Amino acid sequence: MDDSARRLLQRIMRRIPAQMLKPTLDKWGRLTAAQRQSMDFTESKWALTEKLLAICEENEMTVKHITELEMIHVIENPDHCMWYALQLMDPEEDVHSVELTQFKEQFKSHLRELIRHVSIKIKKHTDEAVWIRIAWGDSFSRPNHLKPTYVVHHLQTPYVFVTSLTSKLKPLLSQALVLSTRYQAIKDASLSGRKLTAIRDLLMRQYQQVFPTKYPSPLAENDQNASNILINKEQAELAASRHQKACEAFGDGMLPQLQSAVYKLETKFRDHTNKTMTEREEAFRCVVKFASTNLLESLRHCASSGIASTPGTSLLSSIPLKGRNYFVITDNSPGPSSQTRQPSN
Amino acid sequence: MMSLLKPFSKLPGLNTANILLVENEEQFQQSLADVLVEETSVTVTVRLAKSLPLPMENDESRPRIDLVVFIMNLTSELSFQSAEASLKYLDPGYFLGKVCFMVTNARNASVPTERLDAVRKLAASLHCPLLFAEDQTPDGVTSATERLLTVLKVAAGLVPTTTALYLSNLTRCTLPPDIDQPSFD
Repeated sequence: MDDSARRLLQRIMRRIPAQMLKPTLDKWGRLTAAQRQSMDFTESKWALTEKLLAICEENEMTVKHITELEMIHVIENPDHCMWYALQLMDPEEDVHSVELTQFKEQFKSHLRELIRHVSIKIKKHTDEAVWIRIAWGDSFSRPNHLKPTYVVHHLQTPYVFVTSLTSKLKPLLSQALVLSTRYQAIKDASLSGRKLTAIRDLLMRQYQQVFPTKYPSPLAENDQNASNILINKEQAELAASRHQKACEAFGDGMLPQLQSAVYKLETKFRDHTNKTMTEREEAFRCVVKFASTNLLESLRHCASSGIASTPGTSLLSSIPLKGRNYFVITDNSPGPSSQTRQPSN
Repeated sequence: MMSLLKPFSKLPGLNTANILLVENEEQFQQSLADVLVEETSVTVTVRLAKSLPLPMENDESRPRIDLVVFIMNLTSELSFQSAEASLKYLDPGYFLGKVCFMVTNARNASVPTERLDAVRKLAASLHCPLLFAEDQTPDGVTSATERLLTVLKVAAGLVPTTTALYLSNLTRCTLPPDIDQPSFD
């Protein structure tokens, strides 16, 4: 086992939480029964790592086997890295006939054409997502397994999620994706976050949508008060309509756990009380960031409790509506609906 | 103004007391309501509102309100402003012992002293009692409820030999003489 494989294994062991070690190793399935027995999971992680290194040496494992272990861990726990959403554009006629085997072959062959030394691993997860692990090398050096890129693509959707990717390698990945999925272009979807499930659910609208209705359902009494006729809410209708509008903007029930939203303002400074700043010709650049353990839930609560008036500003409701959390606002556009997004680096 | 809530424009119910809890945040009022209705010696009905004026659609069905309680969270300026703005929708007759202010989070370090002073001045100028309550524990809710019930029963005319106006003379908020002096911090 060479040095890079050892380093990779050590790093993976550091990342996997102690209680997940046994299930992950079992899932990996590369240890014999005897070897599994010999691992005492009550020992310290350091001791276990040494033991595992010895076992891997014994089995003559290569870096390829170790990357399998890493992939299993990342698929189970995708919330440790930053994920960026991409969207495929302009489908070709045969986009709907792309299926897994074809996609795998095409992707590998296209990427290998573009860059000589690259290590690709593709795995289909149970929930229709295709996971790709890519270790990049270049014309002179072998693939670097310590800085892999992970790509998740849901077949039959135009959405792709990627982790760390330098600007040099992005065009190569984009090209390979576009060709293998039968689209013509790919763009940045202005959506990023740590929780893969959250950004995926937001983009693919996998949460309860509420549609505007002219005749809302009959007023449902607050459960507590329905059973007690002595308690009467005076403004129940108002509260219900606020709740309805809030849910129309943000959704009902469990919302995707988005954790931040960034608005980059390039608008002129506007404040009557401050003449010096208002008189400036150039735009006042600033960045506004909203952060929360569950941003959409917080915004919905602001609207339904009346802290923020409804209908709310379209800037905030654009987050679930457009499935993005990065906006650039300029003076030319009246609102985010017609703004042009600045290209990212 | 058409939408004024009036204290004596309806007939009282037999052995009944009706209380209106006004709270912008709509939280404490629910806990108080749940305990208030458990009172056995009189029938207590509770009306909950976020602010005044109350919707006109409910005017017919609404019973005579004996006591109006404004609940304010001292850590929120919005809470105070909402309560203050609601006052003008009450007929002046209510301010003869049928209005009460209740505040929460008075001990919270983030409350600016100016806000508590402002609440005190408001209560004192209107000759109303100012009650301090703890809303996070069941004991806090129970003791706040007991104090409200004491005032409510008098305001509903259910306690012989005493009236709301008489009681308010004893319970109304007074200002310490040095309220406008700068505080220590």
